Amino acid sequence: MAHETAKAQKPMMLPTLVFGLPEVHRLQRELEALEQYLAQAALRNKDSAPVLPHTSRLLEALATENRLNLLQPETRIQLRAFLKLVVDSAPMVHISFAADPSSAFTAKVVAWLRSNIHPLALLQLGLQPNIAAGCIVRTTNKTFDFSLRERLKTQEESLAAALQGVVQ
Amino acid sequence: MTIWWLIFTLSLILAGGLAFLWVVIHVGRGDVHRKVAGTYQDLASHDVEHIFNDEFREELRNRGRLHFEKILGENAMFLQQDLRLTTAQLNDYMKDEISRQLKEAFTNYEQAITDAKQLAVDSIAKTKTVIDEQRQALGAQLQKEIEDERARRIDRFDKHMAEVVNHWIVTAIGDQIDLNDQLEYILGELETNKAAIIEDITNGA
Repeated sequence: MAHETAKAQKPMMLPTLVFGLPEVHRLQRELEALEQYLAQAALRNKDSAPVLPHTSRLLEALATENRLNLLQPETRIQLRAFLKLVVDSAPMVHISFAADPSSAFTAKVVAWLRSNIHPLALLQLGLQPNIAAGCIVRTTNKTFDFSLRERLKTQEESLAAALQGVVQ
Repeated sequence: MTIWWLIFTLSLILAGGLAFLWVVIHVGRGDVHRKVAGTYQDLASHDVEHIFNDEFREELRNRGRLHFEKILGENAMFLQQDLRLTTAQLNDYMKDEISRQLKEAFTNYEQAITDAKQLAVDSIAKTKTVIDEQRQALGAQLQKEIEDERARRIDRFDKHMAEVVNHWIVTAIGDQIDLNDQLEYILGELETNKAAIIEDITNGA
């Protein structure tokens, strides 16, 4: 009982596999499908407990991360509410890279965001090849340019001075 | 002048002839009166008539005519000489006058040509001076424009040199740097700006 209370009070976490809003929507659709499947299974066979069908990696990771039993209706209701909360209120961070990042790379960035910025932070990826290296981070009202292009631009004066020194 | 002399001479000769005829006629009349007065006188008149008969009178007329013609010929010769002399003098005078006037006209023309030439030379010199001044001004302006353009280009090159180098570096690097190698740098930058990101996410609309 005490363990269940503690578990109920612990806030849910999004797994690092869930990067952004598309994955959350996918989870919502899958959870809805799972709900319908379990309801139909309960109607077909009322005597035996329903068997959990094969789920996606995202839903499995979400359940594992939060130690949830998806066969329990209350858990599913709680999960649906959590996902709705994420959709409605999770902060969105847009990051553009020079190349398409790998999943492992994205997972590391998302893990940093959720551990340092906000536990429910969602990531929206962008692609800007002209920045060469680094990234451009865009939050609600601000843009943070961590690109090599911007870094070179801030160092233009020293570069010009160095080039002039070489020319003279 | 010579014509008047000729006319005067002819008039004298004519007057002399007339006087002679008048004397002859009056002498004849006197004899008639004296004839009437006396026989001697008639005889004398007869003698006079005998001496000065028609042949003698015709002879005198011929002599007078010849003398008159001679005088006329001499005067005509004098008149011709005077005319020739006058013509020669007139020719000389005309020649001298025409020469003088031509010389004067030529002098005037020469002076006018000299003045026009001097005027043209002055005008050319003035034009040349103006052209030289304009050329110098144009040269100076052109030199200034060149210097300004050169300075402008150098300044623009200085200003955009770093930008060009940066663009070249970015273009040259492209997407050749692996994102995994950038992870540490990206996380470091995120860590540096963490407070600002949190504040914007927390307080943002």
